Parts: sequence; structure tokens; C-alpha cells
Amino acid sequence: MDFFDTRLAKLARNGDLRAFAELVDLYKDKIYQLAYRMLGNPHEAEDVVQETFLRVYTHLERYDETQKFSTWIYRIGTNLCIDRLRRRRASYSLDAEITDGDGLDGYDLLPSKEQTPEAHLILSETQERVRRAIDTLPEKYKSIVILRYLHDLSLQEISDILRMPVTTIKTRVHRGREYLRKKLQTEMPFHNFFET
Amino acid sequence: MNCKEAILFMHEYLDGDLRGFALVQLNEHLQKCPGCRNHFRQLENTDAFLQSVSKVAAPEGLTARIMQSLPKRPKRKSWMQWVRRHPAASVAAVFFFIMMGSFLSLWNEETELVVKGTDLEKVVIHGNKVIVPAGHTVEGDLLVENGEAQVFGDVKGDLVVIDGSYNLASTARISGKITAINQALDWLWYKIGQWFAVVSR
Repeated sequence: MDFFDTRLAKLARNGDLRAFAELVDLYKDKIYQLAYRMLGNPHEAEDVVQETFLRVYTHLERYDETQKFSTWIYRIGTNLCIDRLRRRRASYSLDAEITDGDGLDGYDLLPSKEQTPEAHLILSETQERVRRAIDTLPEKYKSIVILRYLHDLSLQEISDILRMPVTTIKTRVHRGREYLRKKLQTEMPFHNFFET
Repeated sequence: MNCKEAILFMHEYLDGDLRGFALVQLNEHLQKCPGCRNHFRQLENTDAFLQSVSKVAAPEGLTARIMQSLPKRPKRKSWMQWVRRHPAASVAAVFFFIMMGSFLSLWNEETELVVKGTDLEKVVIHGNKVIVPAGHTVEGDLLVENGEAQVFGDVKGDLVVIDGSYNLASTARISGKITAINQALDWLWYKIGQWFAVVSR
């Protein structure tokens, strides 16, 4: 008995392009979401989605059917994002403040994030701050927090994707959560962010 | 329970992994520790905020762009498929090729003159020439490898020449068969034939 996506992957492996297109439709939003939150930039996110599916396509032979297809594609996508983050950090530090721009850092110079209409300002301000907080997460917590919260994956699934023990994943979820708690609290004390 | 343990329990709780007595313990601690109560509320809110992060959808037309970017799928190499399905046969084939390879290379290396026979006393060897002089009789088979056989006398058995040549003078008399082998494969068949002859004997 196969999962639907596993069956599509097998069909695609035998040259069925329509099955592959169905796989793309099933997973493109998930991988886009992952890449967008990891990299904070829509253009790079789209590149990662394209690259992920290209790799899936060219490596279909290597897909192990005993594994969930989602685990495999998430692994490919996550690794591509992590590679980009590392390359980015190596070539140019975005966190370095530009000397005479008032508090401007490299992130502000990235191509703009989603344009939010003024009407949603209040709501999106909170959202934006949470997103910014996620952006600042150290890399090793970032992918785990994103997979856990934005993709609703279980600790076991994340452990399969990243090939790390569940206990490590658990510890990192805890640390990531603490990190974000502190970040959100110190960034907006005036907002009474945590007051309900 | 101290505050450090309490914080660990809070995370377990948020993971959905805290049950039974531990839950009661955490609850008791939170009742009497305002600091932890605050910490717990902050963590809970962090969780809620994270879960409320809006989902983004991939841009329009991405599926089409991806499908267009795909390279022509390389035809699966059928022999690779075969190898994957028949591991034992593949190993046997590889083994056979290696055997053949070493066998042939051995065959190529043998360039020294070899003379075999049951009655070699009458045979004269000159350089790489093996001569059966006129008026002499070899009582049996004569095998010459990597050399030239010149027969003026009689051979009462077969004459076999491998990778060489033979000359029969008008006075020569060969009672058996004359076999000349110049190729590895012929030589192989000859050896196999010989082997079977030995086995069947």
C-alpha cells in the first residue's frame, strides 16, 4: 500500500510527466513556504522551489519507496535552503549595520517582502515582527522551528528529514522557542507583546 | 520542583508530551511561582504567534515554469536496470570477464618456445625452430608453441602448432592430424577440448 504521492513518484519515475506535474502541484506551496521563511526573500524562494523539483526529477531513481515522499522532498528543499544561507553568510553579512543608515541593515535592502495593504497594518505588524524574529534565528534552530510550526510536522518527521536524533530535534525546538520568546519580548516591550 | 525543571516541563507540555503526574506537578509550581507563570505565558504566546504566521502560496504559474525547466529525461540505461534486477548473474558475468581477461593476457605473455611430446629425443631445436630430421621418427604427438616446426622425418602421432608455423618436407610423414592454432579463442577451444578429453578418460 502506497501513499498517493509515493505512487505519483513511481509513475513519474517511469516517465509519466503528468504524474510529476501533480507532485509539483502537491508540494510547491509547501516548499515555497519553507524556502520563503528560511530565506526571507520571494525570488530566492522561487529559485529554491525550482531547484528542489529539478533535483527530485533527476534523482527519482534514487527515491527510496519505503520512505515517505514528503520526507525526501523536504530534505532536498531544506538542504538547498541551508546551503544558500551558508553561502550568503560566507560572502556577505547582511546583519552588519550600514554605517550611516539609521538602523538600516542588509535585510532592509533585500527585495521587498509581501506588500501589505495599509488596512492590515496592525495585524501584519505583529506578523512581520514574528517573521523578523524567525529570520534572526540561528540556522540550526531555524529549519526546525519552521518545519515544526509552519509545516506542522512531528518531531519524528523532522528527525527523518534532517537525519538527526529525535532528542536533538526536541532540544532545538525548546531552544528555538526560548530564543523567540526572548526576542519577541525584548524587541517590543512597549507593545506589551505578551500581555493578553 | 525548581524553576529550571519547571521550564523543561513547560516545553514538554507545549510539545504535547507532558502527561499524568508531571502535569500536576507543573501546575502546582505555576500556582505558587509568578516568575514561571509569566515565563509560561510568554512561551504559550510565542507558540500561538508562530502558529499564526500566515501561509504563503507559491507564485502563479510556478508549476508550468517548473515543468518547462525539466531536462529531457535520460533514458534509463537498460543494462543498469538488468544489473539491478539480476545481481547474481551480474556478478557471474563480471567474474567471467575478469577470468577471460586474465586468461587472454596470460596467453599473450607466453612467447617462449614450448615443445611437448612423448618422444622428444629425436627432435632437434635450433633457435625457435623445432626440427624432425630426415630418417628420424617421433613415436607419438608433437606440440610446438611459439615456434616453427620443420618436419623432414616421420611423426607417428598428431602435430600441433600454436602461434607458429610448420613446414613439411616432401619426405615428411605425419600419421595423425595436423592442427595449427593462431588465435586465443582457438587455443581456448583446444585447451577445453583437451580438458574434456582428460575428464572423459
